[in-house]
Amino acid sequence: MRCLRTLLVAAVLATPTVDAATPEAVRGEIAARLREKLPALAPADYALGAAALDPDLRARVQDNAAAAAPVVAAGKALWMRKFKDGRSLSGCFPNGGKRVAQAYPQYDARLKRVITLETAVNQCLKSHNESPYDAADPDTMGAVMAYLRSLADGQKAAVRVPAGAEERFEQGRRLYFTRLGQRNYACASCHVQGAGKRFGDIPLSPPMGQTTHWPVLRDGKAITLQARMRECLELMGAAAFPAGSEELNDLEYFLSYLSNGQALSANPYRNW
Amino acid sequence: MRRAALLAALAATLVVPCAAQTAAPPESFTSQDKGYCIACHQLPEGAGPRTRADLGPALTGERMRALGRAKVREVIEDPTRANPDTVMPPYGRHRILDAAEIQRLVEFLLALP
Repeated sequence: MRCLRTLLVAAVLATPTVDAATPEAVRGEIAARLREKLPALAPADYALGAAALDPDLRARVQDNAAAAAPVVAAGKALWMRKFKDGRSLSGCFPNGGKRVAQAYPQYDARLKRVITLETAVNQCLKSHNESPYDAADPDTMGAVMAYLRSLADGQKAAVRVPAGAEERFEQGRRLYFTRLGQRNYACASCHVQGAGKRFGDIPLSPPMGQTTHWPVLRDGKAITLQARMRECLELMGAAAFPAGSEELNDLEYFLSYLSNGQALSANPYRNW
Repeated sequence: MRRAALLAALAATLVVPCAAQTAAPPESFTSQDKGYCIACHQLPEGAGPRTRADLGPALTGERMRALGRAKVREVIEDPTRANPDTVMPPYGRHRILDAAEIQRLVEFLLALP
């Protein structure tokens, strides 16, 4: 059954695109829909996610702003840790990793693939003969992201979709809008069609701004964006793609482009 | 005469609680791995857990009874037949709930205050 679900999703995603719009046109169309659905919400607040739509949640995030400190410190230790060859993660990124997160994911024209920040970290580890991290593991990749993304706090998301990358963006868009899983939801069912409505007691965040505040801190652990995407897919009754898979990388690419211009703010507290 | 009036008054006080009385929601209404209807719909006060969910419309007995038993069952089994754009899962068509669970949901909804 699980295998059948995976095959069905793969078949849907493999269907050739007929009339793909440009990334900027897609972004403009979604922005217009959100302005219509959430006229009282300032676009600058989209980056707060669900907390933008609930004063109580917003207060909880503000009151627990210091909760991330231990995880950020653990991530910094991993970032600075010397590899067996004497190098470190810090040495793989420009400026020691300061102000780089806002430009990820990036498209690698040679590999014809999307490179997320997590992928880039694992590329660095592999190139120095170190074991890569599990892309959804809070204690390693989550902690590194908590530190690395904190180095870009306040920077505005600036993800590019260069020539040749449109297909990856389009695949991400298709996955976002494709109904899948036993419950027949698309990501967009809740986050575009239902943006601002409440699922249980929690408001559904709009897609723009969704990628700006990761990882989130839940029960003291750094939960990465793709780990959260997997939780959503499981709730939808779908076989969740692995963190770091081409499908989730494309989805992250699409969503991150939608958030261009929004300020990054890593490690917000989440207890919902 | 006074006795008749007293009985009538007593009967009136009994009518309200009986009409408002409702069974607890079935597990399929509240359970995350079943219908999980409570995540999207609000119930009338006293009919089940209170939430602020509003992805779907609030459920009231009046609305359910106006739809009728067959229509309520049809919507639970496959709401996309009536509305292809709905976000509500097709509980019967996708075998999220079995026939008995859907039947219990129908009866619960029709009995709502």
